[in-house]
This record gives sequence, structure tokens and C-alpha cells, in this order.
Amino acid sequence: MTQDTGKDLAEGPAASTRAVLAERVPLRRVILAALSVLIVVGVTYASWRTLTLPAAEGRLDGTTWRNLVVLGIAQGSIYALIALGYSLVYGILLMINFAHGEVFMAGAFTSFFVAAPLESSGFLDRNFVVSILLLMLVSMAASTLVAVLLERIAYRPLRNAPRLVPLITAVGASLFLQNTFRGFFGPQTRGYPSFNQLEGTWTILGIQVLRTQALVIVTAAVAMVALSLFVARTKTGRSMRAVAEDKEIAGLMGINVDRIIVLTFAIGGMLAGIAGVLFALVFGQVSAFMGFVPGIKAFTAAVLGGIGSIAGAAIGGLILGLLESVVPFLLLKGVHVPSPNQLKDVIAFAILVLVLVFRPGGILGTGEPEKEGMT
Amino acid sequence: VTGSELLRRAAKAGLIGGTVVIYLALVGMIEKFDVRYLVGSTVTLGKLLMALPVAMAGYLTVRPRIRAGRVELAPPREAVVAGLLCGVVAGGLIAAGVAVVHLFPDGAVRNVFISVSPTLLDIMTFGQSLPVAALVLTVGGALLGGLGAGLRVTPERYRRPLLTALSVTLLFALLQRIIPIMLYQLNLDSTWLYSTITGGLTVVGAVVVFAVSAAVSGWWSLRGRNVRQRVRGLPQRQRLTLRMAGLGAAAVILMVLPALIGSVLSQILGTVGIYVLMGLGLNIVVGYAGLLDLGYVAFFAAGAYTIALFTGANVVTSLGAAVPPAFSLHLGFYLAVPVVIMVAAFIGLLIGAPVLRLRGDYLAIVTLGFGEIARVLVTSDWLKSFLGGAQGLRDVTDAPVGPLGFRNPEPFYYLVLAFCALAMFVSWRLANSRIGRGWNAMREDELAAEVTGVSSVTYKLLAFAMGAGIGCLAGTLFAVKIGSLAPTSFDILVSITALAVVVLGGMGSIPGVVVGALVLIGLPGLLTEFEEYRLLLYGAVLIAIMILRPQGLIPNVRRMRELHEEELEQDRWLREQEGTGLTIAGGGGGSS
Repeated sequence: MTQDTGKDLAEGPAASTRAVLAERVPLRRVILAALSVLIVVGVTYASWRTLTLPAAEGRLDGTTWRNLVVLGIAQGSIYALIALGYSLVYGILLMINFAHGEVFMAGAFTSFFVAAPLESSGFLDRNFVVSILLLMLVSMAASTLVAVLLERIAYRPLRNAPRLVPLITAVGASLFLQNTFRGFFGPQTRGYPSFNQLEGTWTILGIQVLRTQALVIVTAAVAMVALSLFVARTKTGRSMRAVAEDKEIAGLMGINVDRIIVLTFAIGGMLAGIAGVLFALVFGQVSAFMGFVPGIKAFTAAVLGGIGSIAGAAIGGLILGLLESVVPFLLLKGVHVPSPNQLKDVIAFAILVLVLVFRPGGILGTGEPEKEGMT
Repeated sequence: VTGSELLRRAAKAGLIGGTVVIYLALVGMIEKFDVRYLVGSTVTLGKLLMALPVAMAGYLTVRPRIRAGRVELAPPREAVVAGLLCGVVAGGLIAAGVAVVHLFPDGAVRNVFISVSPTLLDIMTFGQSLPVAALVLTVGGALLGGLGAGLRVTPERYRRPLLTALSVTLLFALLQRIIPIMLYQLNLDSTWLYSTITGGLTVVGAVVVFAVSAAVSGWWSLRGRNVRQRVRGLPQRQRLTLRMAGLGAAAVILMVLPALIGSVLSQILGTVGIYVLMGLGLNIVVGYAGLLDLGYVAFFAAGAYTIALFTGANVVTSLGAAVPPAFSLHLGFYLAVPVVIMVAAFIGLLIGAPVLRLRGDYLAIVTLGFGEIARVLVTSDWLKSFLGGAQGLRDVTDAPVGPLGFRNPEPFYYLVLAFCALAMFVSWRLANSRIGRGWNAMREDELAAEVTGVSSVTYKLLAFAMGAGIGCLAGTLFAVKIGSLAPTSFDILVSITALAVVVLGGMGSIPGVVVGALVLIGLPGLLTEFEEYRLLLYGAVLIAIMILRPQGLIPNVRRMRELHEEELEQDRWLREQEGTGLTIAGGGGGSS
């Protein structure tokens, strides 16, 4: 770029004004501005078309919208729980743990093998709270184990390698874990038992909420509050923040960096385990390949909120969940795109790209995806 | 190495070896691979999978450690004892695993771990009762571990021929679907080498292969240096002639290969060729420019769908009828290919432009997102009238030259070969061009490159466009090969397979791509039971290569030289340190 400007300067005064202008208003800015205007206009137009759709052409009524919003929040809470795993690890190692979706899958899939006998023995319906807690515990244990093994075997030897190297390893680990579970437990999708107590709806503040969704939202909220308290208040939490700030200095201050890193992976695994059970309860099925798409979505959520930040992961998850459930209908119904729900994933990834283009640091970030402390 | 430390290491290695065997059993590989006979009627691939980890654990237990600049090798007797112990631990662990399964009622374990079938237990207990099997496993493990350790402490002069001979014999056994057919086509008798009943090597054949390869390898390790020196000493002209002769021989072999191996194997080679093309394209992006692209399937799909649309393929309606899509041209294949390349390069620019300023790992995820977007779009009902939705497109051209089509395996092999040769030439010229050096500089240090006048924006976009241009050819040929497109062929696994091909061979290395594709695509094609574990293998390859040998199997020459220089530098430094009488104490205390 610089040498271009130099050449222009040498060509004469007219060229130099052009160069100055080019420096003040870089092409990138112009393109970005045009792009954002385009997006705003497009979104406004499409939403307006959808909202003013004649009833005969399938305009969505208020209840449908409300349901979509609740669904989005429930979905978003699960994303948020998984996103925390990405965010915590990224905050400390500056590395995308691409296999985190598989950590989530490991918990959900393993808990199935406890849930199925519990259901057939009738225990599940008799002791609702105990069974839920038991399932969570099993799922958390499995996910934590996988996360810790992953760190120990695949990531620790590469801690000082160039950045692409651990990322490629993580992609490999993701594939490896998927197919390991496929080999262990079989390729078929298994139906997750459902709880009698979770069928039907509750009416909260005048809105009918599916009981499963309510459980998901409450559990996720509790887990996230617990995590923020842990990181903010405890000594270990302080060590985690110190390691995120600077590994070497933290080590000099007497913090066992390896232990903190393992702990971070373990906490990420636990949250993913909780998310696993919730996901299985909502969708009623588990399989070895269930982790991939939620994993990518959760990463998107983490980036959206500002990777490395706990509050960011929560906000990013909720926003992504909401956008994903509402936007396909809001934007595509009105312009007569058939089966808008199919394009849900496109929306999620388009959001990821747009966030990275316009605000790489995410909503709570500073605008650049540079290293920040854990907040 | 102190005795107790060696024993501790042996126990640890034994535990790892045993765990690996149990893992292989649980994931189902041992049972599935037990039907593939390698040598005689006893050595199957499944048995080998049980034995190899244990022997490897023994081998690795006593591998020399470098401490304070000195190579420490355990004395032979202690090493063998350590190997024995390692094997006992591994065998004991496996036996314990089998015993645990026996503790549960019949079939209870199988309800969870679907691979723990009676057949598997039969294989792992050698059809014996549990106590006998435990004894056999432990003693056998000890022998294998001891053997591995013994091999490691054998002097280099004998070890190298032995290892080479073992690998060559294994290779012959694994290529059992290819070599007998070649021998048959050459009118040679192969029944003494390969059994017609089991398909594997006969005992005699295995012994002969082993002996011959050991002898050749032994001769080479004695004389190889002289031969190499003689060749190096030849005048320039003769060396060139020699190289040309080698290349010519390789070309002739490649040309007659389909006639030798028949149509089934030609088809496998065709698939390998498609992945070579894709690997070459991805190699430009990942290897040359250092940009990790996980959405490479987007270009594969772009190549396949654009060639289909430009040459008049039809959309399949839900009733099964074929109608032309909403946009359709009727160009000839060879006229359409340049257009397809341009379209793909343009898509490459579109994908590259918004992510230019992102750091490596973000870039990977965004490209992954683009790959998923491509998949969803080709499946969607929205673009159904253009791309056929879930039913896909049919009646794709077979790239005719006059009356000749290229859909059948043998002709297709030549088509793919021609495209691969072209793509290789382009990659090779690019690597040594100004652009290639620019990529190199950018990959090593973006800031420094920018300062010396390599505009990272331009060069990144160039990499994306050129990688896309080559990678889309893979999609184009894929479309020609199968004649109809289904969106299920374009998922993320294509991207990851291509990445594994590039990574295994060595990022930035053109021969590496070929070897990577041969191993990762060709081998599972040859041994059908690998097919189910292909993806597991890819995952393991990605992890193992990155940890053990990040430069890949056949590294890029420039990078290898860099690495080598560093090592030499280090050796010289250590020698100087010893020369001055300094001792380097501690040896990395605290780090484990």
C-alpha cells in the first residue's frame, strides 16, 4: 500500500491530491459503509414485507412470534453454555478449541446410557430432581474427562507452536472424537428419554413457555452466574484471570500455569456437559455427530459477544439464538423464499462473517480481536 | 538412564500401549480388520493391530533421550528387561479389560459398547478360557515388548534393514489387491506369493519378500553412500540425462498403469487424482500462503455445479423427470473449463475479501462458515430451480473428445492425470515465482513482508483466487466422473479430507500432496474395511502429524533445509560447550 502512495506522489500534484484523498477515505471504509447501508435497507424492506404480509399468505401472528422468541432464548442459553467453553480457553491460550462441540456431544451421549436404564426401570419419572441431577453429573463427568484428555494429549505438546498448528490438531481431534464415539456407541441416532414432569407448558408473565425450555433457561442462567462468581471471587478464579493476562508473569507469581489451564478446560467441559443434557432434553435425541453444528454456532456466539469474555459469551449466545429463530421468518417469509427455516444456518454464519468484518472484537470487545484479559 | 527411571518409563509405555489396544478393540477395528489376512492363515490385520501397539511401546520405551546435549541409550540387557516389563503391563491391561467384560452378564457391555461382540472376545482370548487367555496375553505381550525394545538397541547397521524389511513386507501384504493383478497382467505366476484362499501373502512369499528387502536395504546402507556420491560426481549433462530417464520411466509407468491394474483400481486412482487436484489447490492457500481454509468444499462445489450448469445438465424434479435448470448454457466441456476456473477464482476473491484482515484462526472459522453456507445453499429449496435442491443435478457432460467420453474408469484416469500434471506444473512454477516468494515471506512474517513491499492484501487475494482456480477443477472432474450431483457430496468432510491430504504430505510440498492422497484416499479404497474408519484415520493423522512431524512426510525442501540448519547449529553449539568444559546442569528441571 505504502509504495503505491509513494509512486502516486511522484507523478504530480493532481495525483498527490488523489493519494491524500485515498488515505483519508480508504477504499475499505467506503466498501464497508456501502455494505452496511445495503444491509440496513435490505433488512428493513424484508421485515416490512413480512410484517405487512396479507393474512391469506401466511402472516405470522403474535403467538407465533412469542413462541419463536422463547425458543430462541432457550436455544441461545444452550449456545451460551457451550460458548463459555470456547471463550474461557481462548482467553487463556488464544486458541480456538475446535473440538469443543465434541466435548459437548460426549456428555450428552454418555448420559444417554444412564438415562435409558433409569427410564426403563421407572426411576426417571418417580424421582425427577434426582434423575436430572444424576444425568447432569454423568454428562459433566464425561465432558470434563474428554476436555482434560484433549488438553493433555492433543494441545499441551503444541503450546508454543505456531498458531495454525494447534488449530489443525483441534480439527483433527474433532473428527477423531466424533468417529471414536461412533465406533464406541454406534452410528445411529438414539432417542433420549423424556420426563413426564417436563411435558406441557407453564405460564410465566402471561407467556406460555414449554417446561423444557423453562428448565433450560433457568439452568443455564444459574450455571453462568455460578461461573462468573467463581471467576470473580475465588482465589482460583483470580489465578485464571492472571494466567489469561500473562502466562509467564503468572507463573513467576507462583501460579501453577499447567494446573490452571487444565482447570479451564475442565470448567469448559462441565458447562458443555450441562448443555449436553439440556440439548438432549430439548431435542430428544443424541448421536455421535450432534456436536458439530452447535459447536460452530457456539463459537459464533462467543465471537459475537466478544471472545474471552464471560458476559460476552452469554449475550452472544442469547442474541444468536434469537436471531436464528426469528430472522429466517422475519426476513425471508415476506420476500417469498420457500422453507426459510432451511436457511437458518446461513443466517448464523452470515452473522459470524458480518461481525468479524464490522466489529472483530464482538459486542463487548474493543473492535480488534486482540488479546484481552478475562472479564 | 537410571534403572528405576527406565522401569517407570516402561510401565507408563506399557499402560499406554495396552490402552491403545483396548481403544482399537472398543472402536471395533480389531474385529473388523480380523477378516483381512496378511500372512498365511494366522496373521490378520486385526491381530497385527493387537500386537503392534505393544511392540511399539517396547520400542519407544528405550528410545534414546537427549539430555544435556548427550544421547543416552540404555544398555542392551536393561533395555530388553524394560521392554519385557512394558509388554507385561500392556498384556496384563488387555487381559484385565477382557476380564472386566466377563464380569458382566452376557451382552450387557455390548448394549453400550456395540463393538464388544462374542467374536471380538474370541479374537482377544484366542478362543481359550479366561485364565489361559490372560496368561497368553501377558506372556505374548512380554515377548512383543521385549522384541520391540531389543530391536531398538540393535546396532543401526542391522536395525535399519530389519525395519525396512518389516515395513516392505507389511506394504506387500496390504497391497494384496493390486500386486497379484499386476503380476497376472504381466503373465507372471503369483500363487507362490499370494494365497488364492486368504488373499494375503503366503508364508513362503512373506519370507522371500522379507529376505529380499532386508538384503537390498542392507546393501544400500553399506553402499548407498558411495552410489550417491558417484551420481553427484557425474558431469552435469549425465546427471540431467539420468534424471530425465527417471522421469521418463515414471511417466511410462503412469501411462500403462490402468492396463495393468484393471478398472476397479483405476477408479480408485481416479478418486485419488481428484483429491490430488484439490490438495494442490488447498496447498497454495495453506502451504504457500499460510492461510488455513476449512471451507474448501465451497470451491469443490463451485467447480462441480458450474460445469454442470454451463454444459447443460438437468434438474431432477420431485416427480423424477429431468428439466433444464433456470440458468443453463450448452458449452463444450473444454470451453467451459476456463470459464469455471474464472468463476471459482471470483468466488475465491469474494470469500477472501471480507476476511483479509482477520488473523489465522478466525479466518479458518469464517471459511468453515462459508463452506457450510455453500452446502446449505446447494441443498435449499430456495435455489432449487437453479441447483436442483436435495435431488441435485443429472446428465452432466462426460467431457467428450469427438466420440470418446471420459466417464469410464480407465479413460477418466487419463483425464485426471492430464489435469493433475497441469496443476502440478502450475503449482511448481508458482512456488518458484515472484508470487511464490511473496507468499513465503508473508507466511513467515506478515509485517516484515509488508515492509519489504509484499502487499499482504494482494497476495492473500491471489492465493485465494489461485487456490480456488485449481481446487475447482477437482469438483469439475468429480462431476464428470459421477455424471450427477447430489448435495450430500459437498459437506465439511471434503474440506477436512483435503486438509488431511495436504498436512500428511507436508504443507507446501507438491509430491507430499500426491503421497497424502495415495495414503489417505487410495489405501481406504484398496482395503474396504478401512472405509468405515477413514474419518477416524484422518483425525488421528491430523493430530499425530502436527505433534510428531509438523513438516509432513515429504517436507517442502526449503523448509526442511531451514529445520536442518537449525539442528546443525544446535549440535555445533553443544560441541563447543563441551569443548570448553562447561557442563549444562539440570536439563530442563521443572518442565515435565
